[in-house]
Amino acid sequence: MNTILTIIRKELKDSLRDRKTLISAVLMPALAVPLLILGITKLQQRLNDKERNKQLKVVLYNAPAALQSLFTDPKIQLINNIPLNQAKDSVSAESYDAILDFAPGFEKSIDSLQAGTLSFYFKSTNEIVEKRINEKLELYKSAILSARFSKLNLSQGMLKPLDVHTMDVASTKEQIGVLLGGFIPYFFILFCYLGCMYPAIDMLTGEKEKGTIETLLTVPASRFSILMGKMIAIAIIGVCAAIMTMSGMFMVVRLSNGIPPEILKAISDILSVKFILMLFAMLIPLSIFFAGILSAVAIRASTFKEAQSYVTPMSFVVIIPAVIALMPGMKLTWETSWIPILNIALATKEIVSGTIKNLQYLLIVFSLIAFAGIAVLLSIRQFSNEKNILK
Amino acid sequence: MITVSKVSKKYALSRKQQHELQTADTTVFAVNDVSFECKPGSIYSLLGPNGAGKTTTLRMIATLLHPTQGTIQVNGHDVVENSQEVRKTIGFLTGSTNLYDRLTPLETVKYFADLHKMPEALFRQRKDQLFTQLGINDFLNKRIGQLSTGMKQKVSIARTMIHNPDVVIFDEPTSGLDVITANNIISLIRDCKSEGKTVIFSSHIMSEVDLLCDELSIIHKGRIIYADTMDAFRAISHGKSLTETFINIVQSNK
Repeated sequence: MNTILTIIRKELKDSLRDRKTLISAVLMPALAVPLLILGITKLQQRLNDKERNKQLKVVLYNAPAALQSLFTDPKIQLINNIPLNQAKDSVSAESYDAILDFAPGFEKSIDSLQAGTLSFYFKSTNEIVEKRINEKLELYKSAILSARFSKLNLSQGMLKPLDVHTMDVASTKEQIGVLLGGFIPYFFILFCYLGCMYPAIDMLTGEKEKGTIETLLTVPASRFSILMGKMIAIAIIGVCAAIMTMSGMFMVVRLSNGIPPEILKAISDILSVKFILMLFAMLIPLSIFFAGILSAVAIRASTFKEAQSYVTPMSFVVIIPAVIALMPGMKLTWETSWIPILNIALATKEIVSGTIKNLQYLLIVFSLIAFAGIAVLLSIRQFSNEKNILK
Repeated sequence: MITVSKVSKKYALSRKQQHELQTADTTVFAVNDVSFECKPGSIYSLLGPNGAGKTTTLRMIATLLHPTQGTIQVNGHDVVENSQEVRKTIGFLTGSTNLYDRLTPLETVKYFADLHKMPEALFRQRKDQLFTQLGINDFLNKRIGQLSTGMKQKVSIARTMIHNPDVVIFDEPTSGLDVITANNIISLIRDCKSEGKTVIFSSHIMSEVDLLCDELSIIHKGRIIYADTMDAFRAISHGKSLTETFINIVQSNK
């Protein structure tokens, strides 16, 4: 036991002094999600604002007066006296944004309570143009409709025979569970793996590559204790990376503006002691599972590069079950409870929503522990093979 | 005391290795029926060209590899049956060994002392003695990555000797070192002898062997092709250089 502790202490000290481990296990996971969320939302907002405030160049042909007045807007520039073909080319070339070409007899059709035909030319590569023009057309349409209703002496209810009052009985917590529940495990599973990856290569392949393993294996400590010490150190770093990921996620939620207070409250409810304990009970075996698998692979490689070429593609294998868990309709069942990674992702979703069944949760923890055990055994087998441990 | 009796180490060859070695054999002997004995207070040398089987032999003595056939005993303990006891009594130093760059010399030596389960008081006493003797005190808290090769070599020595092993195994300990740095190792080997330790070292440099050893074996293609005292080896040289005699012995066994 003392030997295992000695190894863990040394490996953690050694790893914490390594900039690469610090980046992959602490900095990246803590900053990735906030940067991703803040960066993307900010960028999207900026692009949206830019498109919203852009002055659109619109060409109208035979437009009725009522519509023309709707297009009298400082953010719209109306182009006149230009042949239709030339205008179409300009829309293709993006020098104009849209064309509305009203068919001859349009106003007559409207007056006789028929549908008026018009052609709307735009480029679908720019969604905002379509949206902005449609908003104007909608205004025009409702003006026509209310004129027709009053002309025919009809009530507005004619068009809206159903008055549905929708009542969502899902609690805010459950709604967040569906919304965020999938993303939380996706990120912490990924970063837990990435957090374990570098230390595993460093502690096993690194020792082989540098030749330090020869001296280490001539001390009176069993190979089992040496490997266990290393694996526990790797798993601790993996858990730490997952914690950093979640802290980063919750920090961004806390710090970003415009989140309704009921959602903030629901998020604080989610972050209860029970949730954290339940998550840890799954996270620890998951991390040991990763540490075991990664060690088994890293032991076989004789150089850092070789090890990296094995474990980097493995991260896709880790992501796939987490992505499957994000799919709508993917539910935790007795079958999916057995599949590692997928089960932890689905269970987190249910824990966040507060809908997890105790027995199912226990089964998941048990299955994760079993898989962690198999991974550790696999790694012990590789480590006991003298062909693997010496260069 | 090291007793190696009729030891062989056989490796299975992969297809690729068979192709590289241009052989149809599926196995190869890295060490083939080797026997010798190293006594306390004397220095035993394994001399041989690259790939002769020196490192494999030393790794088997150091419990890193298991012999395919034969037995090895270190201070009366079998290296396979009782490897933990063997490891308590050995110190192993190789020329290619590196250290942990991000630890300091003090942390490195303490790590190995802890793995040897040394009591704190004994560790301090031994560390003070070794650090003063080797002059490590000037840089004991610097990261090893920032040290010169000579300083690193001193730390390697301190790490190997911290638990005061009875049996010391050196695998080409001076390879890649300059003469001044190599001299640290030469004095260490001499000190080990005067302290009555059992010393075995491998080398392909005749001058080093001539300088230090009491008994030598020449190993070639896994087999011992010459074994005698250093004095006897000098005698058969008849005034020729020792290196020339070594080359002649190896070539006559091709």
